[in-house]
Amino acid sequence: MAATGQVKNPTATMGFAARRASDARSTNLIRIGLLLAIAGSWEALARSGLLFRDVVPSLFSISAAIWKLLGNPAFYANLQVTAWEIFASLAIGSGLGIAVGIILGANRFLGAAFEPYVYYLAPTPRIIFFPVMIMWFGVGIASKIALGALSCFFTVALSTAGGMREVDKVLIRVGRSFRATQWQMATKIYLPAMRAPVLNGIRLGFGTATVTALLAETKLSNQGLGFMIMQIYARFDMPSLYGLLIIVFILAGIGNLILGKVTGTSA
Amino acid sequence: MTLATTAATGATTGQPQLVIDNVFKQFGEGPGSVIAIDNMSFDVKPGEFVSVIGPSGCGKSTLFNIIGGLLDEYAGNVLIERERIAGPHKAVGMVFQEESTFPWRNVIDNVAFPLELQGVNKSERLDRAHHFIDLVGLKGFEKLMPSALSGGMRQRVSIARTLVSGPQILLMDEPFAALDEQTRLLLGDKITQIQQDLNQTTLLITHNLTEAVQLSDRIVVMTYRPGRVKRIVNIDLPRPRTSDVVSSDAFGHYVAEIWSDLREEASRGMADTESVRRTAPRG
Repeated sequence: MAATGQVKNPTATMGFAARRASDARSTNLIRIGLLLAIAGSWEALARSGLLFRDVVPSLFSISAAIWKLLGNPAFYANLQVTAWEIFASLAIGSGLGIAVGIILGANRFLGAAFEPYVYYLAPTPRIIFFPVMIMWFGVGIASKIALGALSCFFTVALSTAGGMREVDKVLIRVGRSFRATQWQMATKIYLPAMRAPVLNGIRLGFGTATVTALLAETKLSNQGLGFMIMQIYARFDMPSLYGLLIIVFILAGIGNLILGKVTGTSA
Repeated sequence: MTLATTAATGATTGQPQLVIDNVFKQFGEGPGSVIAIDNMSFDVKPGEFVSVIGPSGCGKSTLFNIIGGLLDEYAGNVLIERERIAGPHKAVGMVFQEESTFPWRNVIDNVAFPLELQGVNKSERLDRAHHFIDLVGLKGFEKLMPSALSGGMRQRVSIARTLVSGPQILLMDEPFAALDEQTRLLLGDKITQIQQDLNQTTLLITHNLTEAVQLSDRIVVMTYRPGRVKRIVNIDLPRPRTSDVVSSDAFGHYVAEIWSDLREEASRGMADTESVRRTAPRG
């Protein structure tokens, strides 16, 4: 009976899709327009001579610098270091965060006792622990990984604990009524139900791990993109500095996009 | 119909399949405690369709959870073939009032879920899931996600998922509560047909009078707080039944008869809820 009632009105669906497509077109136009406007103003400012020419270099010199950077082996070596730092901090921080989040989410008592700590520590600036990490792990990449892991740990732990508590209670009752074992409850009900909040936590954790790793590299290091930025800054090579910043922005954006896609596909 | 043979075991004996014997359940201790169920007793025979009806807050859902084994601290006995229920029993299949399909599984994987837990191999569990999807009238929807279905269709997925596990007793808690009246009547037809086809012993918990009369062989009327058995009514309407039965004189007679019992309890419940709201508003 519901089979016939369920058939959607095709014209209404098409109208909706068409409207969405035209909405998407106009948002794209606005986005491109904004980029062009910023680039235009930048170029106008660079040519006006109102500021030091070196502080606001022309877009052409920035493009040339980007091209040069992309041909520079040192860039790839530093990129590799930073990428490894972010990956390792995300892996360690998320692993620990998911484990602690599950414990806090599953146990009402532990959650009530310890979650305020996690909650209030989450937004604090972890960079102040950098000196401690340097003492513990040295000036190399280990201290950056430790600090990055510390930063994304909180985000992932909180979203995992929240996700665990928000698993629909009736689904748990369904599992129990079919006499699912503990392992089956975990793998067939909790994990799939928590997928979205956990992945979202990891995505946010990626952001904080990236920020922390780059920040730490600019403070004290001898390799990585943050280190490279400070090197270029020391030479006062403004086109390369802006060029590198643009590259870092784009790479971070792509990383976020990929993680966002993975999260978005969940039901 | 070889897949549903478990449901028919013992159908000819006439011995009770499910016995509710002096069941008592109290929540909390001391002055704030509430007696949800006060010495309820009744039984359900093999192949029989029994409804438990009562006003909201009479302890119906507590009874549902006790029989389903989700609430295992209670006094008295709930017996299935002389075995006391403590924890979810394999002979009982529950259908919940709330939306309970897994949103990350498509229809067929939802229905095959209990078989997956039992470790049935993939081709067999898909075969059996197909059979019950067909039975609840969802053939052709196997690959759709629950979000693409209507509320009534999702509830049928839940029913198929429970039936696939081959329960001796189908235990349902207001499975149509969230649906509109027409869908409810048509789903009632479906349930009647399935129950008659499988000779499925069924216990339905409901507050809906027409639904109870339309579907049941017997109706247990509950009192409001504490929940007791007020009366047990035999419904001697002919089988096989369809939703057409609701327009018959006999049907109207049963509804009127049970409503006169129920009205008193429902108004007590209503007065109680209103006084609670006056003093301490609840969510």
